[in-house]
Amino acid sequence: MDKQRETERAADGKSFAWRSDDFQLYGPAAAEADAVFQAPGFWKDAWIRFRRNKGAVFGLICIIVIVVLSLAGPALSDYTYYGQITQQQNLAPRIPILENLGIFDGTYILHTTTGDVVRNGYLEQGFGDVYYWFGSDTLGRDLWTRTWMGARISLYIALVAVLCDMAVGMVYGLLSGYYGGKADLLLQRFAEIVNSIPSLVIVTLLLIVLAPGLQTITLALILTGWVGMSRIARAQMLKLKQQEFVLASRTLGAKPRRIIFREILPNSISQMITNTMFSVPSAIFTEAFLSFVGLGVPAPMCSLGSLISDAYRVFTIYPYQILPPVIVLALLMMSFNLLGDGLRDALDPKMKQL
Amino acid sequence: MKTYILKRVLISLTTLLVILLVLFTLLQLMPGSPFHDEKLTDAQRALLEAKYGLDQPVIVQFFRYVANMLQGDLGVSYSISKNTPITQLLQTRLPTSLRIGAQAILLGTAVGLLLGVVAALKHNSFWDTLCTAVSVLGVSVPSYVFALFLAYLCGFRLGWFPQLYQMAHPLLSSILPSAALSVFTIASVARFARGELLEVLGSDYMLLAASKGLPKPLLIVRHALRNALIPIVTVLAPLVVSLMTGSLVVEKIFAIPGVGSLMVQAIQSNDHSVTIALAFVYSALYIGIMLAVDILYGWIDPRIRLAKEDGRG
Amino acid sequence: MERQIFVKKIKRLSALLLALAMCGGLFAGCGIAGQRTEGEAEGGSGHPGVLNVHIETNVQSLDPQEATDGTSFEVIANFTDGLTQPDADGQPVAALAERWETSEDQMTWTFHLRRGATWSATGSPVTAHDFVYAWQRAVDPEVACEYSYLFSDIGQIVNAAEVIAGTQDKSALGVEARDDYTLVVHLKAPVAYFLSLMYFPVFYPMEEAFLEQCGDAYGTSPETVQSNGAFVMAQYEPASTEFTLVKNEAYWDADRVQLQQLHYQLVQDSQQALLSYQAGDLDHIIISGDQMDQVAGDPEFSTCNAGYLWYLSVNISQVPALENLNLRLALANAIDRETMMVSVVKDGSQAAYFAVPDGLAVGPDGKDFRETAEDYSDVIGYDVKKAQAHLEAAKEELGVASFTFDIIVDDDAQPQQVAAYLQQQIESALPDVKINIVIKPKKQRVLDCQQGNFELALARWGPDYADPMTYLSMWKTGNNNNYGLWSNAAYDALLESATTGEAAADPQARWEALHQAEAIAVREMVIIPLYEKNNAMMTKGYVSGIEFHPVAIGRVYKNAAVV
Repeated sequence: MDKQRETERAADGKSFAWRSDDFQLYGPAAAEADAVFQAPGFWKDAWIRFRRNKGAVFGLICIIVIVVLSLAGPALSDYTYYGQITQQQNLAPRIPILENLGIFDGTYILHTTTGDVVRNGYLEQGFGDVYYWFGSDTLGRDLWTRTWMGARISLYIALVAVLCDMAVGMVYGLLSGYYGGKADLLLQRFAEIVNSIPSLVIVTLLLIVLAPGLQTITLALILTGWVGMSRIARAQMLKLKQQEFVLASRTLGAKPRRIIFREILPNSISQMITNTMFSVPSAIFTEAFLSFVGLGVPAPMCSLGSLISDAYRVFTIYPYQILPPVIVLALLMMSFNLLGDGLRDALDPKMKQL
Repeated sequence: MKTYILKRVLISLTTLLVILLVLFTLLQLMPGSPFHDEKLTDAQRALLEAKYGLDQPVIVQFFRYVANMLQGDLGVSYSISKNTPITQLLQTRLPTSLRIGAQAILLGTAVGLLLGVVAALKHNSFWDTLCTAVSVLGVSVPSYVFALFLAYLCGFRLGWFPQLYQMAHPLLSSILPSAALSVFTIASVARFARGELLEVLGSDYMLLAASKGLPKPLLIVRHALRNALIPIVTVLAPLVVSLMTGSLVVEKIFAIPGVGSLMVQAIQSNDHSVTIALAFVYSALYIGIMLAVDILYGWIDPRIRLAKEDGRG
Repeated sequence: MERQIFVKKIKRLSALLLALAMCGGLFAGCGIAGQRTEGEAEGGSGHPGVLNVHIETNVQSLDPQEATDGTSFEVIANFTDGLTQPDADGQPVAALAERWETSEDQMTWTFHLRRGATWSATGSPVTAHDFVYAWQRAVDPEVACEYSYLFSDIGQIVNAAEVIAGTQDKSALGVEARDDYTLVVHLKAPVAYFLSLMYFPVFYPMEEAFLEQCGDAYGTSPETVQSNGAFVMAQYEPASTEFTLVKNEAYWDADRVQLQQLHYQLVQDSQQALLSYQAGDLDHIIISGDQMDQVAGDPEFSTCNAGYLWYLSVNISQVPALENLNLRLALANAIDRETMMVSVVKDGSQAAYFAVPDGLAVGPDGKDFRETAEDYSDVIGYDVKKAQAHLEAAKEELGVASFTFDIIVDDDAQPQQVAAYLQQQIESALPDVKINIVIKPKKQRVLDCQQGNFELALARWGPDYADPMTYLSMWKTGNNNNYGLWSNAAYDALLESATTGEAAADPQARWEALHQAEAIAVREMVIIPLYEKNNAMMTKGYVSGIEFHPVAIGRVYKNAAVV
């Protein structure tokens, strides 16, 4: 508080200072008065606004829960994500206790060409004490463990997308916008070229030249994911670089690096965070699409995308297999979206006034 | 203004040429030729490669390719449909994909706007929740799952529409694929429309307009919605290109003779000439639409043009 | 702020967009109001005389000398007859050739062509010259026909190899038209399966005048193909998803053909295929193994031999560990093929413990090759103890404690599932072996195999003609498809003897040699056989008479009927 006052004074150019005993509080509520009148810092302020946003908090909690489950979930079950028990294929979800309520008891309706039949693989094959919480897949693997293993991969991909947006897209856009002129023209044409080549071409080429696998998928995401972010960053730079505080900084002899990363970046961070939150789902989807065309993570490893595409192949036969990965993915997407919204509201100075 | 447009067009054309070069190089980097089949001997493969001029130096191939392209000759397919000119393959496929994509965009925009507007007007109500739910579901369930679901429900169970694309009934049988493709558009448009509208509705000029006593529907459509449309257009522009050039998987599910499924096939069967041609069509559409949007913006608001030029110094 | 001013000026654009959006709504409205008009058959009976068939891949070419894939062969055979055609059991019977004779040494074949067979577009009769033209075209280096080796290595036609190599003019090919209706073929060695080779599309005739008139456009529309067979192309576009053939009234055997219309529909998604089948849009479909639960017990369900043998290709020459026979045997013994058939492949395919599949070729004794061949299931069958013993032996011989192998797999659904199963089987039976699955597009996988750039590969081979040689010749030293570069002098000698050597003229001795060759191939584990592919199919009850063949032409519709 004192520090703030000093800066205000410095701006006025006067050398006058209050002493701490100049004023004394009247009455007993000293602590309260402090709390009420304290001007919180930017991040603290943002955190308070964020906390008030129920949706955003819910999103954050959801993400934390999913992260925890993706780390601990596989260990909760006796099955492994790769172990195949071929006799126990295509079993519907069955959960202890809940099965007594008539739900999750391993029963499902099979649409055959000769009519609909109610099936229960557990009873038919005499697996009285076998439980697959999310069911088992066409090779007899436990979907509970696979779903959480898949979530692990998809979260990793989300992380890659964020880092790639930050490290490549943001820097590219900021530099392009700051330096302008020929450099900007060239950089923008390059971005345009990268963006206009169908990403499937780039990605399959990569997967053929390199071995398919997580590293290659990561590289593919880095190569194709940054353009959107660079646009936002460049637009922000163009908007901000003419403003007075930048001019002031430049006049004071600040180097471009300082102007870009210390002056402009913090002022456009909220826009970028929002955009990052949107690029996470699209990265997860790109991986899911690769899985669909058979170029995703190699078996027996799985991602939510590859689980969805595997389950898709038996969608009209065993529809329950597609539900766990779709629901987890939907929750994840929803949480990222809510979190993104919350962060934007919390960080955006314009929204602050509302 | 004219010089600006001319400059923009010239830049776009140059970009296209560079893209052609890049695509060509990329595909040269790809190991293997379309003729890697179990039953072909090396000698036969060499014969086939010579037949299509694939044994020439890369630079010769490139210039020949560009020259042919300028005459509208995209080359012939090597393996998907042997010896068929790619222009002939595209003749029926491109319009089909464009039409289905356009339908999806229109449907998606209409429904998305409707949802977004209702959600914003009835903020924090059941409708708002529904809008959020739809947009979350729309972005988190891949379109091919919707496609199969629609085929099963509306095609098979209810029998409303054909499950497979029928060339005899192009409109009727394109409804399910369009609907499946539109889900993502619905979701994103609804999201953006809701967000922007909420912002606009809270603004001072809306308060002013309302206090002038304008009727509410007019207020929404003429003032609020119009202002909210800009970011939506910006979001839609790239989406248009990717939808118009066909969805890779949805086309496969509905057996649509479009360019999307052709692209996957071309890549998987190493049919380079088809891949380049399709990628080029895609790039051209993309650059074209971006150019159109840019010029349109510049034409509508000279300040944007100035800002852009200024951005370039 | 800036944006808001800008926004106000975009009136026209937004109005337009809104209008378009409204149109979109109307679009959808119309669609929902409209009802399905066609293809709404009630499942009970089809349209008499009209057969709707499902294909999984598109036609790549309608040119018999250019086509290389099963779908194209099937469609070409619908509208083109060769010298012979397969009967229901796959045995060659007379088609355009009415009768034939061979010389004493079985090296000269004389085919007497049927009078009355005509080309549909030009109306001219089908003559021996059309065969000569087509065959010369097939070996012409300029045409670069992929199946030209059927003329040289397989058919042993005089000068075929030289013409293909470019050292002789195509007119030197050992085939001549003695007159309009007599075709004489000269061979270098007796070829036991020559007649069954004759129904392979690459040997089909082509009318020179018509082909030249069409030029590059040949086979791109109904107007640019002509028929001498049971059907005529009525509606077709290159690589199209649906096309139609109608009965050829001028066909020499038209009385036999009962179908009026044959409609093809491309459906790449098997679930959609089944839904369309159930809705009555398709009368005959191929389904995936996963769908077996849905069709079990349905009388419309059946399977047929698809001819393909799936196996693990082993890079014997370049991967030191795999050069070890014990290790290969360990891998082979670790795989439970029977469970794989029931639980993974599921489409009725059969476990394979052999290199030459069942139902491919019939010997001089009238029995199937497999019937008289040895049973190798005890050598390469599932036996974990044996597998572990072999592995221990291999470890000792190689002085290596653990192994890791990459297995390359096509990016299709079934191979991927099979690979996941193999990985689990091998890793659980042999804890010291680790398997990595590498998925590649098919062409890429083939390229890697051909360049020896692999360790293990999940590969398949389809027969080109009804003889064990179509498989056995693959592992001859120097063969292009001998991916593992395995080489065995005794094996080569046996094959040599059976093709051009002393056993070639004696059917019984040749058969014997082939059996011995197979024994070497299996016991030496040149490949690890997995299964013989069957197709699972659904065919409506009102459809009859579709004939299925594992070789050359997958389905024949000449005798098919829809009531």
